Amino acid sequence: MQQKPIEIKISTVVAIAVILHDAQLPVLETALQQLTASSGDYYSEECAVIDVSHINCADMDWAVLIRLFKTYGFHPVAIRNAPESSEEQISALGLSIDLGSKAAQIADIETIPAPAPAPAPVVIQAAAPAPMIIDTPVRGGQRIYARGTDLIITAVVNSGAEIIADGNIHVYAPLRGRALAGASGNTAARIFTMSLEAELVSIAGIYRTFENGYPKLTPNVPVQIKLDGDKIEVVSIQSHT
Amino acid sequence: MARIIVITSGKGGVGKTTSSASFATGLAMRGHKTCVIDFDVGLRNLDLIMGCERRVVYDLINVVSGEANLRQALIKDKHCDNLFILPASQTRDKDALTEEGVERVLNELIHMDFEFIICDSPAGIEHGAIMALTFADEAIIVTNPEVSSVRDSDRILGIIQAKSRRALNGDEPVKEHLLVTRYSPKRVEAGEMLSYQDVQEILRIPLIGIIPESEEVLSASNQGNPAIHLKDSPVSLAYVDVVGRFLGEDLPLRFTDYERPGFLKRIFGAK
Repeated sequence: MQQKPIEIKISTVVAIAVILHDAQLPVLETALQQLTASSGDYYSEECAVIDVSHINCADMDWAVLIRLFKTYGFHPVAIRNAPESSEEQISALGLSIDLGSKAAQIADIETIPAPAPAPAPVVIQAAAPAPMIIDTPVRGGQRIYARGTDLIITAVVNSGAEIIADGNIHVYAPLRGRALAGASGNTAARIFTMSLEAELVSIAGIYRTFENGYPKLTPNVPVQIKLDGDKIEVVSIQSHT
Repeated sequence: MARIIVITSGKGGVGKTTSSASFATGLAMRGHKTCVIDFDVGLRNLDLIMGCERRVVYDLINVVSGEANLRQALIKDKHCDNLFILPASQTRDKDALTEEGVERVLNELIHMDFEFIICDSPAGIEHGAIMALTFADEAIIVTNPEVSSVRDSDRILGIIQAKSRRALNGDEPVKEHLLVTRYSPKRVEAGEMLSYQDVQEILRIPLIGIIPESEEVLSASNQGNPAIHLKDSPVSLAYVDVVGRFLGEDLPLRFTDYERPGFLKRIFGAK
């Protein structure tokens, strides 16, 4: 069959959402410096959707804003939730207006604090890369880090092993070593395991050891570990009908 | 095609050298041309257990550093024509064991038509232990049924996964076998010792055998006689089974159940 010269398909493009919480360009620039200082090319030309629903864009100089993000390695492709008055100006700069996501949905997205200790005005929600999957036992002395994503392990994690993920951790076997989820600060990250026998669990830097034994759990039922305020909560996963 | 098998454990005193000697002897008794190499440079035990310590002239380090050739250093076993021992050096520094040197020795053994090359690893996770496992095709993990031994075995399995040549080249991974030694069904039943099922539950590798605890092993070792030669003893039969399973036979486990002494035995005493 003759190939059509143009084929149109729906496709999902991975982009990072950059959610602004401050309209002042110098403040944004400082925050960008702090974000990228440790790894200069971290956002190497990644497509970025800049979300302005939380700021007042009345006096925004869109050309300068976009240039600023380009300087720091982003490739802005769209402005999300821009005021109608600015749409013409944004389109003229070659960017799309993203209306797909309504402000209400954005508010639900958990924000990841920037590594800088000061309250960061820019919050970056990176589109999660594929999870890391490990099918062999993780032995004592071994260390696995799922950078920027979830970690799924289908085999045992033994004492002395350390498994770390920026996202969630799933262990479909006994978890006997140390497990650190949300390692870069995601307080919504959780740890799931078929059997909790861990030496230490941590979520977003808040940890718990089990020197005095494990909490009472339903036997032979998977366990999840999550953060409740600043406390680690360990609960059996019960299916409620 | 020759197979290189490392016998390792992490922890010391669990029975690596005893198992290396008996396993190598067992393979040779089945007619396979076998060489067993002592990697415990500086300590040297294998030649004692094999009863050839008085015949050691050259050793592994001499061969690795080119001071002697392999044929000069290999010692023929006193019982089996197919079995050769390459002893360790007692006087040399273990850093003399280079990766290139070890690889050359192993390749030379392969060219001499050895079918099985057994590497008796030193304890620990230092250089000597790494050299012993680097070129392995298969690994026999010797573990005692107690927590610290199991944990060290877990650690060494991780090192095999990370540092073996097969792992680094992305080849088919090293085939792992669990050998539980010094097993006492009586103490397991009393809850003083992990059961082999407990050990397997933690390590999760296939079991190749269980060697019962026995006082005979010590005296056999002292006499320079590998335990597999103790005719009809449980230890010997258990090692024969290990060799059989390694060669692909399907053999049931033995000596794993505790039999309470019968009435007469209790009155007149065992033995």
